[in-house]
Amino acid sequence: MPNADSVVYVVDDDQDIRTSLSRALRKRGFEVEAFDSAEAFLDAYDGEQAGCLVLDFGMPVMSGLELQEHLNGLGFPLAIVFITGHGGVPESVKAMKAGAVDFLEKPFRQSVLVERILAASEEAIAKRDAQERNHQIRVRFDRLTAREEEIVARMISNPAEVSSKEIGNYLGISPRTVDHHRARILEKLEVKTVVELIDLASRLKDATASRPG
Amino acid sequence: MRNSLGALLAIGLAGLQFVAVLAVVFSSYVTSERALLDHARGLLNDVGTNTIAHSQGFLRPARGAAELSARLAQNDVIASDSPQLLEQLLFQQLQLAPQFAGVYHGSEDGDFVYVMRSSGPGPFRSKIIRVDGDSRTTELIWRNDDFSVVERRMDPEDTYDPRTRPWYIGARESLTTIWTDPYIFYSSQQPGITLASPVEDGAGGVRGIVGVDIEISEISEFLSHLQIGHTGRALIIHANGDVIAHPNQSLLKTRDSDGSLRFANIRDIDDPIAQAAFVQLTGDGQVPVERNNLSQFQYGGEVYVSIVMPVMSDKLPWTIAAYAPEDDFTAVIKSNRRTNIWIAAVVAMITGIGGLALANYIYKPVRAFAVRSALISQGELDPSEPLPKTYQELENANTTLMQQIAARKETELEYGQTFALSSRGMAQVEAETGRFIRVNARFCEITGYDAGELERMTFSDLSLPGAPPFLTQWNGGSGKDDEINHEMRCLRKGGRTIWTSVNAIRVHNQEGKALHFVLTMDDISLNKEKEEKISQLNKDLSYLSRDNTMGQLASGLAHELNQPLTAIAQNADAALMTVEQHPQADAELREILEEIESQSLRAGEIIRALRAFIRKDEGVRTVFDIEELLDQTQRLVIAEAHDVGAKITTDMENLPPVEANRVQVAQVLVNLLRNAIEAVAETSDREKHVTVRAGRRGDQVIICVIDNGPGVDPSINLFTQFETTKPGGMGLGLTICRSIVQENGGRLWHEASETGGARFCFTLNAGGARGAG
Repeated sequence: MPNADSVVYVVDDDQDIRTSLSRALRKRGFEVEAFDSAEAFLDAYDGEQAGCLVLDFGMPVMSGLELQEHLNGLGFPLAIVFITGHGGVPESVKAMKAGAVDFLEKPFRQSVLVERILAASEEAIAKRDAQERNHQIRVRFDRLTAREEEIVARMISNPAEVSSKEIGNYLGISPRTVDHHRARILEKLEVKTVVELIDLASRLKDATASRPG
Repeated sequence: MRNSLGALLAIGLAGLQFVAVLAVVFSSYVTSERALLDHARGLLNDVGTNTIAHSQGFLRPARGAAELSARLAQNDVIASDSPQLLEQLLFQQLQLAPQFAGVYHGSEDGDFVYVMRSSGPGPFRSKIIRVDGDSRTTELIWRNDDFSVVERRMDPEDTYDPRTRPWYIGARESLTTIWTDPYIFYSSQQPGITLASPVEDGAGGVRGIVGVDIEISEISEFLSHLQIGHTGRALIIHANGDVIAHPNQSLLKTRDSDGSLRFANIRDIDDPIAQAAFVQLTGDGQVPVERNNLSQFQYGGEVYVSIVMPVMSDKLPWTIAAYAPEDDFTAVIKSNRRTNIWIAAVVAMITGIGGLALANYIYKPVRAFAVRSALISQGELDPSEPLPKTYQELENANTTLMQQIAARKETELEYGQTFALSSRGMAQVEAETGRFIRVNARFCEITGYDAGELERMTFSDLSLPGAPPFLTQWNGGSGKDDEINHEMRCLRKGGRTIWTSVNAIRVHNQEGKALHFVLTMDDISLNKEKEEKISQLNKDLSYLSRDNTMGQLASGLAHELNQPLTAIAQNADAALMTVEQHPQADAELREILEEIESQSLRAGEIIRALRAFIRKDEGVRTVFDIEELLDQTQRLVIAEAHDVGAKITTDMENLPPVEANRVQVAQVLVNLLRNAIEAVAETSDREKHVTVRAGRRGDQVIICVIDNGPGVDPSINLFTQFETTKPGGMGLGLTICRSIVQENGGRLWHEASETGGARFCFTLNAGGARGAG
């Protein structure tokens, strides 16, 4: 069943395709928005809405492939299903490598498209959720003072030397001060132990690493 | 025929000498001879004059004596009838002049007194005849110089009568003093003449005649002493032709048949030279000359000069004639002349030899110069060698010559360098045999042979077997063109053939005979290859165009059909959904809608199969040089651009090779270029420009064809099939182009050009992008 969190964006320069596809998908319960060009989509999209792009491969000016490249750099919660009237193998390979969910040749079986849209929607939502969690972790990290960040960085880079004494020696401050900071850090990051803190930091790190650009 | 300066000089100098000497000799020969002859004649004249003077001087006393005696007798100074007195008077007269042989007086009555020189017994003898009536006595008295008597006797036998003698008769008749003709004296047998003078009686009568006998052998004696040359002679000829004086007295007298003595006539005198000289003078018995008559004659092979003078006087009709051999005067001169001629010949020879030597001396530097010039022209002598000592004129000529030689050498050097260093292959080929005379390095490079090998080859060795031998055909033909351009396959060393362009120029001599060819050869293989590539591309395009237009059409149609088929399928699905949401859904309707969907999908399958089928013929993608293809496609449409006056310019960055179907890309390019040319053809108010701009964008190459034509009406969807702005167009061009480009992994679109025209761009993947794709 269509996920209510996800929107289907239809981008095709062919008016008939846009109309029929939007109507059929809406009938199946999808929330559909249609655009006649990649540029029009980019103008309208807010960057946060999770969604599935049903993207025409061959369009004038900005092609579907170019839009895909463009979006890959921005980290939006979107997944792409290409539809094409040409179906060239090299192009499809290129699109799939760049992260497309599938590459469908027109005309396609509706059930196949729906299935791909659902998969794409899930992917988009997962992407969005991860981003959201990251965001929350980021918010918690943002609460830290400069000194606290310093201590966290030390703990993350040297997980074997996390005692107050070791960190105090390293930073040239007293272990008591480190203790004090440590309690504040755990509180601000909403974790109970240093192990949890390192885990949280690594998740943030992964998310940051997975976000291109 | 030009004369040698040396020969001219020799002939001139020696010949002039010879001629000059000859002229002097000849002139002296002629003038000296004439002078001598004049001298001879003058001499003869003098002889004559002297002889006349001598003769007259010789005879004048006789006349004086006779006339004196006559006058004495006449005036009775002496009694003519007193023989003693008369004898004494006559004796005195005789003694006065030694030339007198005798003096006498004859009277009318026959008395006669005669005193003469005698040979003995006394030196003088007187003969006295006394006539008295019929009686007469003749007494002979010999006396000494002092008139004393030596002997005296009577001569009774004597019958002499003076009145019968010619002298008496002549004088008596003429009543004046007369000269008789010369004759031989009876008594002395000596030649002489008698002068007779009458003794008048005062009454017109004559008492007697006084006579004087003069021996004229004295004149001959005088003549014999005259020096006329060596052997010349003078003689006196009486008017009747008798020779009365001659140097040889013995010739004077001759004896008649009756035994009497007489003078020898000039006709029979024993002096043949005188005869020859003067006999014609007396042809009519009279010496005809009135003035000195000088003449020349030949006798016995010798030349003589002669003179004949007029008679001395009326009383003495004697002619003086003289002759002398010319040689007497000219022999010395002639021998002198011979000597002179020999001297002249020797002088002419010596001066001739001197002239030759001088000519040789003068000519020597010229000859040396000529030899030197010949050596220089044969290249055996360096022109910079110093010139031997010579004349100013030759030095000037030498300077000019050296300049000419230097200029010629420079020209040769320039030509040689041009030939050798030319960046084009050059060769000189013998006209008749086609043999290489010389070749340059580039020619060797083109043909692959070295110069030594080529010089043993002929031009036809470079042609393929069976190729028309254009050079020799041209040679044999009557073509007047001296230049020919020919493209031929050249057989290189090792057997590889290359395309060459040959320009041949025929070089003639002055008679028009072909001497050799100068060939310029270029390797045009690359051009040829390029041309062939373009022509192949054109062929491919027309093939593609002819045979694959339907395929392209189908491909384009397939793409365009897929869109509505997709829409149909979607709409069917939407309808099906709607039907299913309806509680009283008609099962048949659902079935119909499901069939619509599956049929549209089936149509899509058919199209996909068709496209897969077509795609098999589309050839394969290759990595190729897009710059080269851009160049070639431009060449294909350049003629169309020229026709409408459009200019195509290219603006290319350094482009990477692209990966695509080369022929298909070429078709797109040609299509876009043709569209652009057609677009600018409609403009007339500005210059017609079509620009091809190509550049790199990431791993793609973007190619734009830009024109400054009227642009595209925004209301027209360019890429809709079968929609066209061109009358007669199918509206497929751009659509097909777009589908081709898409099939090759690129995009094609239109945008407005800043110049107001249209700009069509398309992209292609760079060849290096294959690894990433």
